[in-house]
Amino acid sequence: MAHIKKKWGVILIYLALCLFFVISFFPVFYTFMSSFKSNMDILTTGDLIIPREFVFDNYIKAWRLADFQTYTINSIFLAFFCVLGAIFASTICGYVFSRATFKGKEFIFYFMISSMFVSLGTLTLYPLLMIMKAFHLNKSLWGVIIIRVFGMNITNLFIARGFISSIPREIDEAAKIDGCSFDAIYYRIIFPLCKPLIATVGILSFRSAWNDYMLPMVFTMTDTGRMPLVVGIMHLKSSGDAASSWNLMLAGTAISLIPMIIIYIMFNRYFISGMTTGAVKG
Amino acid sequence: MMTQEDKAGHKRMSNDNVRAIMMIAPFLIGFILFSYVPIIYILRYAFTDYSGFGECRFTGLENFVRIFKRDPDFWQSIVNAFLLAAGKLAVEIPLALGLALLLNRKLRGMNFFRVTLFMPSVISAVIIGLIFSLMFASHNGMVNAMLQHLGIISKPINWFNTKWKAMFILGIASVWQNYGINMIFFLMTLQSIPQELYDCASLDGAKGIKGFFYVIFPVIAPIFQSILLVAIVGSLKICDLVISCTNGQPGGTTEVVMTYIYKSFFGKSGRNIEVGYASAMSLITAVILCLVTVVYLNATKKLKELE
Repeated sequence: MAHIKKKWGVILIYLALCLFFVISFFPVFYTFMSSFKSNMDILTTGDLIIPREFVFDNYIKAWRLADFQTYTINSIFLAFFCVLGAIFASTICGYVFSRATFKGKEFIFYFMISSMFVSLGTLTLYPLLMIMKAFHLNKSLWGVIIIRVFGMNITNLFIARGFISSIPREIDEAAKIDGCSFDAIYYRIIFPLCKPLIATVGILSFRSAWNDYMLPMVFTMTDTGRMPLVVGIMHLKSSGDAASSWNLMLAGTAISLIPMIIIYIMFNRYFISGMTTGAVKG
Repeated sequence: MMTQEDKAGHKRMSNDNVRAIMMIAPFLIGFILFSYVPIIYILRYAFTDYSGFGECRFTGLENFVRIFKRDPDFWQSIVNAFLLAAGKLAVEIPLALGLALLLNRKLRGMNFFRVTLFMPSVISAVIIGLIFSLMFASHNGMVNAMLQHLGIISKPINWFNTKWKAMFILGIASVWQNYGINMIFFLMTLQSIPQELYDCASLDGAKGIKGFFYVIFPVIAPIFQSILLVAIVGSLKICDLVISCTNGQPGGTTEVVMTYIYKSFFGKSGRNIEVGYASAMSLITAVILCLVTVVYLNATKKLKELE
């Protein structure tokens, strides 16, 4: 009896997961399919998910005529430096806030955390633009990168500090006895143990850099040559007749999704391995 | 009297402190520059009628009088942000935790589901807003076409012509966007629980819901508190999705606080550029978000103590 009951339980679990698989996948599938429709069909055949005929025109137009080539290069540039910066920023800060013993550490930590409730994303866009203007960085993506890396992402900091605090202190105490200094413990011991954390922070920061809209938008306001993909797509939507450019927007959306998904799968391996592997067991 | 060893230990301790401070110094400077200087900027202009260029006149509390007395749209946008956050989190958090618990089972194919269910979270909020506004488009949108095809409705529904329908779409889009990331956070937490704990729990007969609340939840509670806090604050600060999906339409009724203030700063949607007034609204919003956090942390103190 118990055996049969368990079997039904497993089937129910799979059914629920399959349902959410469809829910998660459908809008993206729909977008990819629609991006192969002709502009006419996008507007008239809403109930057909698979296009009547596959047209690659949208991609060619988007890539050549609508600047999506430039947008893509800009997006890669922006994401690369943001990810690299975020990995170092969060592991270093997470380590310091978890292990350092200097006076006022807690104060600085809570000072930083408090910004989560006062650094109000959109609200500080205008002042940020003005600050970067003082450094003459208000018209390039470098301004965005510097703000993102040195401005500290509090979510990443939270995760990093939590993760590093969960690494047993016995390990660094052992290293300390062997004569390791504070920063040596970071790059010899803690950083190599942070692989799952790096994968997580990497994915999160790639995702936010690749998808970032408001900040790059105000830094590239009128300069289409510097816009990343998402900003470019919205620029296309807001400029001119939106209905006639749905096809370009869909193709652009697909172009922005493909590298995202590839990189996600690559990083995902780090998620799979050793998410739970602790260094000291028992 | 100090022994030689004590002294050496003490010296290295302070050396370590210097190194630790050096390590976070660049981030601390950047943090102050990008998190606190903007606030000083806002504080400075909140009491003026600055319009981005030209002269800037000190007007005292005039901006705040205007917010409290003559700007119901601002308060409407705050209420909208709260309604949207409450509505979507009530669905999103239980869903994310439930799915994480399912995925934590050692069954075949769990990795496949983990990868695919997370996928919506890797997509830009702006793109999601676009996709949902196309799917629910009133003329020839996919949803209307399907519903008509199935004979559920006879005429296309205009999903974006009343506030509640538009808010409903925003809620759906937002849950779709965020449940994967929360699911991964919960799953990470669950997987950090040593296998021994599960084994002990099932040996003691604590299984299913009982096992969850008596054994697993106390362990994940402190992290659960952080995840929920991030989710709440994030939801109240929703912006991109609204801009790309409804952009405040119909008639500014789905405007949330972030989009409303952004439009005042940059003079979008036919608004004037009012840096001074937008700064004052930012200040009020900051205070409100601060209050939410304080209240939340007080209300959930027990979660931290469970461990």
